[in-house]
Amino acid sequence: MSTIEEIVQGKGKFVDDIVLPGMQHMSVIRSNYSRGKILGISGGYTFKDFPAYMSSVGEGASEGEKNMREPVLADKYVNYIGEPVAAVLGKNRYEAEDLSEKVEIEIEPLTPMMDPEKSIDAPPVYPYMKSNIYKKVTLGRDFRTDGFEVEIEGHFNNRRVATNPIEPRGIVAAYEDNQLTVWISTQSVHSIKEGLSEVLSMPEDNIRVIQADTGGAFGLKGGLYSEYALAAFLAKKTGKPVKWIESRREHLMASRPGRGTSAFVKLYANRSGRILGMKGKVIVDSGAYSGGSGEFAARFVGMQMTGPYKIENAYVEAYPVFTNKVVQGPYRGAGRPEAHFFIERMIDMLADKLKMDPVDVRLINTVNSEFKSPLGMDVPPAKEFLEEAISKLNYRKLYKEKPGFAFFVLVPAFQPGETARIKIENNEVKVWLGGNTHGQRHDIFVKTLVNEGLGINRDLVHLQLGDTSMLKSGIGSWGSRSAMVGGMAVHEACKKIKQAFIAKNGIYSADALLKEGADEFVHWRGEGTMNSLGCNLVTCEVNDRGQVKVKECAAYYDVGRALSPEVVRGQVSGGMAQGIGQTLYEEIMYSDDGQLLTASIADAGVPIASQLPEYKVLLSNTRSNLATGAKGVGESPTIGVPIALSRAIENVTGVKITETPIRQELLLRSMKH
Amino acid sequence: MSVNKIKVTVNNKVFEEEIDSRLLLVDFIRENLGLTGTHVGCDTTNCGACTVLLDGKPVKSCTVFALQANGKSITTIEGLSHGKEMHPIQKAFLDKNGLQCGYCTAGMIMIAHWLIRKNPEATRDEIREAISGNLCRCTGYDSIVDSIQEASQNMIPEEEEDITAGQRGR
Amino acid sequence: MYPQSFEYVAPRTLKEAVEFLRKHEGEAKILAGGQSLIPILKMRFASFGYLVDIGGLQDLHYIKRDRDSIRIGSLARTSEIEESQDIRMNALMLAEAASQVADSQVRNMGTVGGNCVHGDPGNDLPSVMLALDAIYKVTGPSGTRDIPASEFYVDSYSTGLGEAEILTEIVIPVIQHGSGGAYIKQRRRAGDFSIAAVAAFVSINESGNCGVARLAVTSIGPINFRSKKAEEFLTGKKLSDQNIATAAQLLVDSVEPVADPYGSVEFKKEILRLVGIEALSKATDRALGV
Repeated sequence: MSTIEEIVQGKGKFVDDIVLPGMQHMSVIRSNYSRGKILGISGGYTFKDFPAYMSSVGEGASEGEKNMREPVLADKYVNYIGEPVAAVLGKNRYEAEDLSEKVEIEIEPLTPMMDPEKSIDAPPVYPYMKSNIYKKVTLGRDFRTDGFEVEIEGHFNNRRVATNPIEPRGIVAAYEDNQLTVWISTQSVHSIKEGLSEVLSMPEDNIRVIQADTGGAFGLKGGLYSEYALAAFLAKKTGKPVKWIESRREHLMASRPGRGTSAFVKLYANRSGRILGMKGKVIVDSGAYSGGSGEFAARFVGMQMTGPYKIENAYVEAYPVFTNKVVQGPYRGAGRPEAHFFIERMIDMLADKLKMDPVDVRLINTVNSEFKSPLGMDVPPAKEFLEEAISKLNYRKLYKEKPGFAFFVLVPAFQPGETARIKIENNEVKVWLGGNTHGQRHDIFVKTLVNEGLGINRDLVHLQLGDTSMLKSGIGSWGSRSAMVGGMAVHEACKKIKQAFIAKNGIYSADALLKEGADEFVHWRGEGTMNSLGCNLVTCEVNDRGQVKVKECAAYYDVGRALSPEVVRGQVSGGMAQGIGQTLYEEIMYSDDGQLLTASIADAGVPIASQLPEYKVLLSNTRSNLATGAKGVGESPTIGVPIALSRAIENVTGVKITETPIRQELLLRSMKH
Repeated sequence: MSVNKIKVTVNNKVFEEEIDSRLLLVDFIRENLGLTGTHVGCDTTNCGACTVLLDGKPVKSCTVFALQANGKSITTIEGLSHGKEMHPIQKAFLDKNGLQCGYCTAGMIMIAHWLIRKNPEATRDEIREAISGNLCRCTGYDSIVDSIQEASQNMIPEEEEDITAGQRGR
Repeated sequence: MYPQSFEYVAPRTLKEAVEFLRKHEGEAKILAGGQSLIPILKMRFASFGYLVDIGGLQDLHYIKRDRDSIRIGSLARTSEIEESQDIRMNALMLAEAASQVADSQVRNMGTVGGNCVHGDPGNDLPSVMLALDAIYKVTGPSGTRDIPASEFYVDSYSTGLGEAEILTEIVIPVIQHGSGGAYIKQRRRAGDFSIAAVAAFVSINESGNCGVARLAVTSIGPINFRSKKAEEFLTGKKLSDQNIATAAQLLVDSVEPVADPYGSVEFKKEILRLVGIEALSKATDRALGV
């Protein structure tokens, strides 16, 4: 990978910086309708040329209904705006776009299904389905609800949000001598290889996937997309390399967005605030095809819906449902922010109902021992941490400022561990990780752990970009996992190298090892879970036009041992910005008749510097039981901030907040009265 | 295709080429000159990843035709460092963790370069306002503001002279 | 996101530019800074046979102060308006509006002329020109003529500028002692077009009441326009909070905004009312030297 010194000097190598001799540029012709019947296509490569279906790989992958899988290019029907219908190749981007305009597609529009909550009970859009529900999930056990002193209910929604890394998606594919090589901006070269192999019906051995410097991902770049399969297919078909770089407009139409999850929730409690039961119905706006993350998300959201609280009775029904929209994907948090938004909003509502301080309701319902929730989540001992957080975040002192508070469990993607390879050669240590860094500076923890494990100077340790020819298997970088599981894989590889060296030479010497060399591959597999806790506190002002200004934005997270405190701080700050973005500005919007209303990154609401506050990041340094001491962190801020900010706004304006983003109009009305 | 001649000075080097009249400045810089440090992020003049200095002033090169720069002088991220010696702004971005993925960084550094010359004592709020045409999705901006503040403290007038000399000479 | 092909010409004189436009009427489009035009071309919402780049006409690139007016060459950059001491001293509201156009980079490239002639009702400077009663000087095949800003805006993207005419200069009267103006803009965030914005200009007469009031609106309706009803109401009256509030309500009553993803009709009206009050209050304070 390019070093940070190279990047600040403009010498990074991102996928769009790669130029191969004879390279062609691909332009994709897409559906302008959310739903319709294809009457004719003239020109371009179409489904007839490449009759293949997508494979589901990477984060949140699911088997899915086989007959509802997304075709790489639309076949007979289009089911979302932006769905790829045809592709053309040009010798440069300008020419490719000129050619794409010559392709004519005739579509007979059909009435689209845009509302997931209506979709549940509507007649099935696909004739071969019984309903629009991909797969109903139930968690916990249903229970009788008579006899509880207090019962409250809420209906909440986190609308769809685009991931919007500043570098869009992109790929360069080349085919020569039966061998496909792709360079790609990705979180997992291994997922891409597996997916391409399936879609192209090519043995994995004939595919090499190389990661380019990756300009942010946030869940976007974990899996396979139609355009990747298309670029690979066309490189093979034409014998010349093919480049495809996504435009931002394509990103907003056809890249998988996250959130898009709503819930009906009921809480049952006694008058002192002790919660005795929770029932939830979760609806995931899964989009037009199976194989996205909707099916995984339904179960995952459901599992977390009691939050860190000890609630004896819990029952959730979760429905990933069909809509005429691009397939849902993971976005930083991927189910964690949704579940906690639902339970935490309910906790605040319960406090209001009982005229209690919301933080006291949280305290009453937490315990100091670990337990498995009725929905299946491992909850770490929570009470002591919560008390610590209340004090560190100055909640009581700031009470007059009307703070919002959030408490959550971070469930990282701990299983199935991760791989690493360490190769020592020519006085240099090269490290490959199964999960690919895309802006989180994995190089820093790798240097730290190799230095600790082998006593080798940090400057000699170099993390490499993902490359399937250099590392035989791997999982991916997502789900707050990399420092934790990738770190353990590095730790184990170091341990093995050291043991082997000692077995051979009697005593260990880093200098001698550097001369002698080594090459070790490890797949480290953790046992159980590695869940951790976090709290956020936010205060804000709302002006007479209904605009929100965030003042205090603070976090207290249990990140275990921070392998690199500056990197952790950066992760938390960036995540808080995304949490504020989701709460106040960000949304992918469609009209009722299925037109896409968000056409630019500004429309999509990605926040700018002058909209965001300074952050306060406090870390609890409690080592995990892993040898490295690390826990997860990356997704914590996107869980906690929307909750705390929503409550802060509620406190200031008196407006009940039930969905994100919170529209200015809603707050303006309250300021008027 | 309509072909036109262009003569521009990029990072103090003169280039003369024949180009398609519709070629955007960013594509001229990236593809014709191979200076790939300038990036495209949004296509719609929002993200600022393509920011370069045109006659010393930052512009979004995705929304300028290359021919509009004819006879002018351009500075890109590659033009800031002197050989191995990094520019103080680049150093500050390293020191203060002003980047994570690094994709927006060139644009941020170019706008910072202009801001610091214009207002060496910019407050944090002024810095935030000045970079409001540049999007970063990783950092949440606070470390970028830190970096620009640190750079403004470390930049000495001579260094500024040096970098813009190319523009002033013309 | 790449434009269609076009022929590019860069005339060396204004005369040459006008002559080219006359000869290729209907096929040629003027390119100045390009900050409005290039996005449209990139999205392929429009295409032209010829782009006539007038960016090299240095004669049109100036900001000058006369005794009673400021003369702005149409190629002055938005950022130059923002930074001009002459404008800050004598027409502050124009600098204020300029500093809120898009972002620094766009302001460095975009021209005053382009912002004023594009005909996008979301553009800020036309409202200020309306409130300041600016005169647009244009040159065409049959010579030079003056068009008052108040007569320039016809419909969205349709103005009083002839196809072969070029805006060369904008003349704005210096804001005199006892007068004041302000531009208040409500946008989702810096860089975005506004939900609504108001340019207000008021003068105080000898009896301490409102002598002249001009109120122009951005982003509501098909063009930037003045609210005659609100202006007539204020003229001759005391610029009290109550009268200002009534004027803002009259302003709101005269518009029919269109709902969009960011808000309903009622929302836009309420925002317009609030920015109207703020703009008038600030203009009044400045007129009174507060």
